[in-house]
Amino acid sequence: MSKELRIGVFICHCGLNIAGVIDMGELVEYARTLPDVVYVKDNRYTCADPGQDEIRKGIKEYNLNRIIVAACSPRMHEPTFRRCVSEAGLNPYIFEMANIREFSSWCHPSTPKEATEKAKEIIKMAVAKARLLQSLDILEVPVTNKAMVLGGGIAGINTALDLAGMGFKVYLIERGESIGGHMAQLDKTFPTLDCSICIEGPKMVDVSRHPNIEIISYADLLSVEGYVGNFKVKVRKNSRYVIAENCTGCGECRDVCPIEYPNEWDENMGVRKAISVPFDQAVPLVYTVNMDHCIECYKCIDACGARQAINFDQKPEEIELEVGTIVVSTGFDIYRPYDNSLYGYGRYDNVITALEFERLILAAGPTGGKVIRASDGQKPHTVAFIQCVGSRDVNKYPYCTGFCCMYALKNAILLKEKYKDDVEVYIIYMDMRAHFKGYEEFYQRARELGINFIRGRAMHILEDPKTKNLTIRTEDMTLGEPIEVGAELVVLSTAAIPSKGTDEMARILSLTRGADGFFMESHPKLKPLDTPVDGIYLAGCCQGAKDIPYSVSQGSGAAARAATVLSQKKWKIEPIIAVVDPDKCKNTRVKCGICEKRCPYGAIKAPEGEPARVTIAMCHGCGTCVADCPSDAITQLHFTDAQILSQIRSALEENPEEKILAFLCNWCSYAGADLAGTSRFEYPPTIRAIRVMCSGRVDKDFVLEAFRLGAGMVLVAACHLPYDCHYISGNVWMKKRTDALTMVLGKLGLSPERFRVEYISAAEGVKFAGLVEEMTEQMKTLGKEKIQAENEKLQPTLERMLSRKKK
Amino acid sequence: MPMKLLKTETENQLVVERILHARRYSLTLDRTLCTGCGICKEICPREAIEVKTVPKVEGDKARPPTIDVSEEKCHYCGICESICPFGALKVTVDGEHVIPVIKSESFPQLIREIEVDITKCDVDCVDCEEACPLNLITVTVQTPDGKEVKDVKSRPDKEKLKVNVEIKKDLCPCCRLCEVKCPEGAIRVRKIFHGIIRIDREKCPEDCQDCLDVCPIPGALYLSEEDGKVHVNELFCVYCGVCKVVCPVEEALELQRTHIRHTPVRSGAWNKALEKLTSTEEMAKELRTKGSAKKLESVKKRVAWSE
Ligand SMILES: Cc1cc2nc3c(=O)[nH]c(=O)nc-3n(C[C@H](O)[C@H](O)[C@H](O)COP(=O)(O)OP(=O)(O)OC[C@H]3O[C@@H](n4cnc5c(N)ncnc54)[C@H](O)[C@@H]3O)c2cc1C
Ligand code: SF4
Ligand code: SF4
Repeated sequence: MSKELRIGVFICHCGLNIAGVIDMGELVEYARTLPDVVYVKDNRYTCADPGQDEIRKGIKEYNLNRIIVAACSPRMHEPTFRRCVSEAGLNPYIFEMANIREFSSWCHPSTPKEATEKAKEIIKMAVAKARLLQSLDILEVPVTNKAMVLGGGIAGINTALDLAGMGFKVYLIERGESIGGHMAQLDKTFPTLDCSICIEGPKMVDVSRHPNIEIISYADLLSVEGYVGNFKVKVRKNSRYVIAENCTGCGECRDVCPIEYPNEWDENMGVRKAISVPFDQAVPLVYTVNMDHCIECYKCIDACGARQAINFDQKPEEIELEVGTIVVSTGFDIYRPYDNSLYGYGRYDNVITALEFERLILAAGPTGGKVIRASDGQKPHTVAFIQCVGSRDVNKYPYCTGFCCMYALKNAILLKEKYKDDVEVYIIYMDMRAHFKGYEEFYQRARELGINFIRGRAMHILEDPKTKNLTIRTEDMTLGEPIEVGAELVVLSTAAIPSKGTDEMARILSLTRGADGFFMESHPKLKPLDTPVDGIYLAGCCQGAKDIPYSVSQGSGAAARAATVLSQKKWKIEPIIAVVDPDKCKNTRVKCGICEKRCPYGAIKAPEGEPARVTIAMCHGCGTCVADCPSDAITQLHFTDAQILSQIRSALEENPEEKILAFLCNWCSYAGADLAGTSRFEYPPTIRAIRVMCSGRVDKDFVLEAFRLGAGMVLVAACHLPYDCHYISGNVWMKKRTDALTMVLGKLGLSPERFRVEYISAAEGVKFAGLVEEMTEQMKTLGKEKIQAENEKLQPTLERMLSRKKK
Repeated sequence: MPMKLLKTETENQLVVERILHARRYSLTLDRTLCTGCGICKEICPREAIEVKTVPKVEGDKARPPTIDVSEEKCHYCGICESICPFGALKVTVDGEHVIPVIKSESFPQLIREIEVDITKCDVDCVDCEEACPLNLITVTVQTPDGKEVKDVKSRPDKEKLKVNVEIKKDLCPCCRLCEVKCPEGAIRVRKIFHGIIRIDREKCPEDCQDCLDVCPIPGALYLSEEDGKVHVNELFCVYCGVCKVVCPVEEALELQRTHIRHTPVRSGAWNKALEKLTSTEEMAKELRTKGSAKKLESVKKRVAWSE
């Protein structure tokens, strides 16, 4: 590209959308006067083919090397025009848009003169930025087309099978001895009442037989490094003290082993041997010695004999895998309500959890399918299910677990079908949630079977110390009064909670967790399976409690998401990233590392004594580290300090004290401002907006510079706290920074209303318009004189504060 | 029901329990039998047992240590029960007395060889009953038709009466007191534990007789009138080692078991226990007799020991 700047400005009428308000002739004339602009052209519809042709033609004929389209919002057509300029042989990043439709003609229809003036300044700001734009190369990274699936529950099983079916190699990492997850612990499944292991077992076997799947069970994930397409994973295979290849799964060792210990798989209701499998259908069917219990009598070695599968010298083994994507499917744990003194769990023998009930009624369970009480081994004649234990409880877990209503119905039906009139069943519930296909019908079936439904929250359970029978004190909302229900067995439908180790996995994988502790998806509606880390996806209950059909669907969905990466040879990365100038970074001299703390993606690392380094493929380009770097050593490409400062200066060249200078984050506030335009909410034309990808990018120097130049008001607008930020925590850091700045400016004598931080979502067009209205009012009330006087007072201090920024 | 781990203590017994919905385990320590020797503690694979010494009150006799079992750690293998020379421990599963490690032959049974030749017994002799320090022997006399005779002295048909000597073998540490006291030489006892016990009287503090105070077998230790210090009579010592537990001075009392009489087993757990209770050499000897050449090699390597 030649050194000389040759800027072309293409101004769009958008039919009458722009031209109906703004004086296009004046705008074209004005644009011609701007520095380095060598060509200006207006079109009826710039985005249509003829309009795009004009751009391509202009580039050729006038040898243009910077392009501006003044038209609609960049959120609408920036990709279109970037493509257009690159077709004409230019780098797509030398293109800039001036949003004169949403930000001017649509929101100031009744003041065309002011709208035209504002449009001029919007173009001027775009030209100022365009003069500093640089060509950027789209980055490409190679892709290892293998996947890792973490957690072998039903969700992970489906992910693995689908990915393997598409031809990708899959490592299925399971922490437990067997894959299967909770589903393998269940008796029957709602709403069809199929036997759980009968439908899951064959899938588990499919996994073990699939040539593309390698199960790595009894293993812990130690670390994950790298980025999309190129993850390096360390896994520790724990010692089973049994050589998997030699073990035939015959179980002769188990038969001779003297030691029994509580079987967690049976919810500790039954036992297993020190050498055993957790359940007969375990996959892989390899026995494991539990060294916490083994007494090393070596009877098992004798029993194993010539197969020589048992090896007490086996050491844990660390292995390294290289994968392109990771699907996390680590499931959930069940809440065991020891801390709820009102229900007496752990104290009363005949109060159990629903998961314990599953093991009790299961034919292969510790009692051989006999539903008996722990206190006397007798079959109970009245069984009460209490719903929402822990769930929907503001003091415990505020969320609804979702599947407990359904499994309580299931277990109530199973009891009724098994013992007929010999058992009376109660379900004490707050709301019955049966809202998927076939579920309402299932509920009706339960009602027809004569199960007693009592609506209310159970308050208290009392035990008769002699008979160990229970009395439940509850309200009956239908009767509107407290009642007592007698029961010989009480089953608590307890909440699903994040599985043990979720915090550690979040750390290793750089994933975020919601307030409920489960992993957070990238976007609750549009990216429900993605995580903030490119190439890592979620499936099943690790993202929030859900039933089997939903977990299975997510498993397949996550496989499809992973395949979008795995099927590529190379993965493209937007070059709007942070780069460090190692000479400026002070971490080489003093311990700093602020950037590392700011980055929600773990993309920037500042090892002691070394300059900070960005892993390009992990950087999402929010710019939070850039704004907070105390040495100005980091630059965000395409949103450099110089580019943004040039926009500020150009916006405030004339009558600064009558203007609101705004920094809007791309994903929420800029979109909210766009919506104000599209909704034709009219507001005063006082605002000049600068788009940043994230509010986290807003350097305090930008604000200071605006006031130094005399701005009337400054606004920073972001996504709502705490979870809306597109970059996870950019808005949080912005808040910290601006809170401090507000204090400083206040002390310097700035009227507090002149610096404003607001949170505006993409849906809050009204709020944006109202805000501009309000701020304009405040600005008027303050009056130009007062503002100027304040500014004069501020000036020397700001000059000093900004001296290092000055060029 | 979630698992329950319980511990209940009364004056005479300690019970730990593991109660599962579908199975119950218990281990009972009978404090009336326990001497506090802590042999069980030495070899409990879960380190579930603690020996707590009882602080001495000035002027009082030393008291034997007490045994505590952790309900959190015990896994009811029954190793302690199998080794206790006094039979103070008992494991049950679902209410039935079983010793899992013995059932699976992962642990041997102690051999208590006690033979009584009742043909030699004098009908009005109860010397053995009186000699037994643990009250394990009951001597009864019967008529030929099996009726129990109370006042032997006044019976004219003394020649026809039969003597019956009943011994609670399970609780017997085989001290040989009865054997020695029997005037007719009718009893033969072989010890379970063999070993050496020595007191380095130089090291004994003035007036200390703590070991003697706690020893369950009268005569195994005695106070010599000559030097006022405790001396050993190895003939009666059962090598339980409670003396060593209470001895306040390091190395004043040396106790080394050299051999344990037990039923034959092939078990790593027993080898380990044997090594702890006796010595590496003794364990190696046992390996040699069992022909476990490979294991013997590894033992040699481990302790850098050659024959
Ligand atoms: C009592 C009860 C009854 C139910 N009944 C029904 C029913 O009838 N029908 C129905 O549709 N749903 C039912 N559900 C819900 C059902 O259990 C879940 O929908 C399903 O198990 C979710 O599968 P998952 O794979 O997401 O998680 P999980 O089943 O929890 O599997 C997660 C797997 O990941 C492994 N893991 C965890 N952490 C790690 C780690 N760090 N590293 C490696 N591996 C890890 C775990 O060991 C496990 O194997 C019931 C739930 C309960 C509690
Ligand atoms: S060595 Fe351990 S696992 Fe094997 S039989 Fe003995 S106690 Fe059981
Ligand atoms: S039963 Fe076994 S685990 Fe329990 S205390 Fe005795 S030796 Fe230890």
